[in-house]
Amino acid sequence: MPRNAMLEVKGGDITGTVRGFLEKLLEKKAVDALLVPVEVPSKKNVVQTMVTDIAQLADVSPLAPVMPVNTAKIISSVTKVAASTKKVGVILRSCELRALVEMVKLKQADMNNIVTIGIDCFGTYSVTDYAVFSQEHDTPAGEYLKKAASGTDTLLRPACKICQYPYPLTADMTIGLFGLPIEKEILVHSGTKEGDQVFEALGLDGEADPAKRDEALSALKSERQKLKEEFLAQVQQEAGGLDNMLSVLSACVACHNCRIACPICYCRECLLDSPTFVEWEAEKYLDWASRKGALRLPADSLLFHLVRMNHMGASCVACGLCEDACPNSIAVYKLFCLAGSRVQETFEYTPGRSADDELPLTAFKEEEFKGFEK
Amino acid sequence: MEQSGKDKRIGVFVCHCGLNVAQSVDVEKVVQEISSYPGVVHAEHYQYMCSEPGQELIRKAIKDHNLNAVINANCSPSLHEKTFRGLVQAEGLNPYHQEVANIREHCSWPHANDRQTATRKAIAIIKATIDRLKLNMALTPAVINLNKKVLVIGGGVAGMQAALRIANGGYEVVLVESSPSIGGHAAQLSGTFPTLDRPACLVAPMMAEVAAHPRIRLYAYADIEEVSGYVGNFAVKIRAKATCVDETKCTNCGRCFEVCPVAVPSEFDRGLSDRKAIYRPFAQAVPFRPVIDVLSCAHFSDDGCSACEQVCSENAISYDQKDTVIEEELGAIVVATGYDLITRGIAPEYSDDPDIIDGMQLERLLSPTGPTGGVVKRPSDGKVPKEVVFIQCVGSRDQEHGKSYCSRVCCLYVAKQSLLYKRSIPEGQAYVFYMDIRSDVKGTEEFVQNVVEKGRTMYLRGRVSKVFRDGDKLKVWGVDTLTGKSIEIAADMVVLATAMVPRTDAKDLARVLNIIADQNGFFTEAHLKLRPVDTLTSGIYLAGTAQWPKDIPDTIASASGAASRILSLFSREELLHDPAIAYVDEELCVGCGQCVSICAYKAITLDEKQKLASVNEAICEGCGACAATCPSKAMKHKNWTPKQFFNIVDVFTKEYE
Repeated sequence: MPRNAMLEVKGGDITGTVRGFLEKLLEKKAVDALLVPVEVPSKKNVVQTMVTDIAQLADVSPLAPVMPVNTAKIISSVTKVAASTKKVGVILRSCELRALVEMVKLKQADMNNIVTIGIDCFGTYSVTDYAVFSQEHDTPAGEYLKKAASGTDTLLRPACKICQYPYPLTADMTIGLFGLPIEKEILVHSGTKEGDQVFEALGLDGEADPAKRDEALSALKSERQKLKEEFLAQVQQEAGGLDNMLSVLSACVACHNCRIACPICYCRECLLDSPTFVEWEAEKYLDWASRKGALRLPADSLLFHLVRMNHMGASCVACGLCEDACPNSIAVYKLFCLAGSRVQETFEYTPGRSADDELPLTAFKEEEFKGFEK
Repeated sequence: MEQSGKDKRIGVFVCHCGLNVAQSVDVEKVVQEISSYPGVVHAEHYQYMCSEPGQELIRKAIKDHNLNAVINANCSPSLHEKTFRGLVQAEGLNPYHQEVANIREHCSWPHANDRQTATRKAIAIIKATIDRLKLNMALTPAVINLNKKVLVIGGGVAGMQAALRIANGGYEVVLVESSPSIGGHAAQLSGTFPTLDRPACLVAPMMAEVAAHPRIRLYAYADIEEVSGYVGNFAVKIRAKATCVDETKCTNCGRCFEVCPVAVPSEFDRGLSDRKAIYRPFAQAVPFRPVIDVLSCAHFSDDGCSACEQVCSENAISYDQKDTVIEEELGAIVVATGYDLITRGIAPEYSDDPDIIDGMQLERLLSPTGPTGGVVKRPSDGKVPKEVVFIQCVGSRDQEHGKSYCSRVCCLYVAKQSLLYKRSIPEGQAYVFYMDIRSDVKGTEEFVQNVVEKGRTMYLRGRVSKVFRDGDKLKVWGVDTLTGKSIEIAADMVVLATAMVPRTDAKDLARVLNIIADQNGFFTEAHLKLRPVDTLTSGIYLAGTAQWPKDIPDTIASASGAASRILSLFSREELLHDPAIAYVDEELCVGCGQCVSICAYKAITLDEKQKLASVNEAICEGCGACAATCPSKAMKHKNWTPKQFFNIVDVFTKEYE
């Protein structure tokens, strides 16, 4: 049975309330460690930090609108070699959680002893935007939440504006904000046995009514659905077809940062960096050049994106970090969002919805694609 | 691992294939252009490269030009790759330094009317194959242990024939039959076309030979539970179902049958008679022993009956007997699970009436061992039917209601049945509604003609629209398309020649064996023409109607074929497996396991701790699905590496700029 509890927000300090909750998790030994966003001393950024000492939670800032690295990638590197033997609570935005589920399916992360704490997410800013924003306000997270509630936040990243799942899908526990008078109270929801155990450890009663949040979510979902359709139609027009795509990618310098930022890319050595792609005799390059009289170098920048699209399309959670990582502001997210959406629609697959959904490209179904057969 | 390929001295041999290639491909021009291609030191063409003089040309060229790699441009590699690899190996080359460039199926045939296109494409195909070959590694076959023992699944004609041929060839056979007796459907038949042999003359001797054979171990009333392993090294778990009768004590006196209070429709008589819950399926059953059908036995229901136990003077009844699981290790498997007849429900135009029977039921009515002692009597009231209507193609050749395929035996068994019916009831009249008569088996066209002319069976070419009860009679409405007249027959009995279908559990068995069943559920052969009794899983072979509808001669032929494939497999001491398969680059593998789920052969295992996939060389068939799936390309296919693919694509993009 799902359990829900309301946390009272004192003096409008929402971050303080969440901090109090996290402190209790450590204090009551509901978890042995926390992986949570902590403000850096300059306050210009907030980064995921593994915390075992309650005192180190002083600068925790889980609601600050910035996501420098997709946390799925961090959990992958922490648990890939060997699962955690101690309980670690991890704060995750929905796109991070969904990416984590995909990584688990790909056996690149181990959920043993990981307690996921999802948070309702109004969206995030780019790291550079946040660095400026954070200097302009004493309490950037609080300021952002005020703007978010009014729905007029122009700093949000494009991916966040049309995000279809701003709420966690599979978290053990969720910190709920949507539809609530967050100046006064926020919700803690448990969706799994792990979550229930935390409720018990913390002595939360779990009888609160989440109806307001549920209502707000369903309104948000239909609004976002509409926005996404408009967005995709626009991207299709701007970037659809080879010529448009080449034009979008014209500034690509093959730094491959988008791949590094991608939470789903998990190869030890990328095929695009492997000898298959990069080790050819000069003779070959000259031969290629002579065919059309010219060869753009570095070669394969289009192929790089196509291969990544092919590899990532089904599991892309549309977090948009690829675009943030691009030094030349190429709209990589737009391309991936469009390709990913189409692939996922085709396979009726929602990445990150459930660890039990099979990866579509490796699952064999006798009955599928009837429409494709003649 | 990959070299530049500059060390290869390549010879190219272009085959005319008579005119198959040469009529659309300008072989002179091909040789001329290929001769100067980098890496090629010799090129020539000849009418039939696969012939002895053709092969001699290749041998001579290898010596004269010191070739260390060979391209054969001809038909599909599935035809002659082995031939040419054997040839270059005999000349001291590594066989994997030979490749086939397919310029027939991929080129001359599809472009038969366009010489220019075909010639250009042949050149591109050969150049691409050359650039791939340049990066080929020398490979050595893997050596695999060979356990020379065979599992035959199914004890019908096909299974018995395969088991006997293999056992007579000197190897141990384990024969598993799911029903209580071997013999299959053939044991139920009244006679066989076109010679009218009784099954007693055909099947009974085979059953006896199987039972007595020192090298055949028979598990009847047993199911295949699990199969693992691979060619030469299968491990099988067989579940022998509890018979609840102690065979060592039972004297087959039969008193238990008399006292058993439970009667259920007899499978052997296809529901036309009853059997008891403790029963022997038929008088000639092998093994000759009673079994208790625990699903219908009253001892296992609430009333706790023990009538058979009380009457058994030998104390042979043992209700608490449990299934036993037997484990066997074997090297090859024959799948001979046979057929069923399609359920009647597919034909709504024929109402559900006891006097509308299927062909197998009529077999029982015509059989001297049947419920009516061989005198045809209709099921509803035991009356001798004076007018019998046969309807062919019920559920066959009928994509809408049943199966699109032809069941192949119905035309002939209907002719046979109408003949035997006339012998049983000389004053009777048989009518046959047919679509067309397929009688292509030796002696059968004459047989059917004889039935039509001398047996006076009336053949009506057309379909039946409806069959319904009208008092004592069954009204059959149909049309004779040859005269264009609609026809109404008041029949006493109607016989439906229903479609042969695979057994309902065939798809489950396919999964257990990791072989393929087609959309109809029949098991799929490796190649319809060239490997008709092989499956795509090495070491597993097909026999009889589990593959496709067959008559008895075809069944015997395919079972003998499967046996001969196994006997030749067993002629070696150990197996050599094609090394052109997948391998894992351990530096690159991150253990995501996508290759494991994609592998149709279950050849890949994942070490979850080490995060590393590995390929079982004995199982991998080199299909390449894993290599295509692996995003890191840690999974690679030997001699089909990404670089080799790039080379191929490169040639084609250049040739077709």
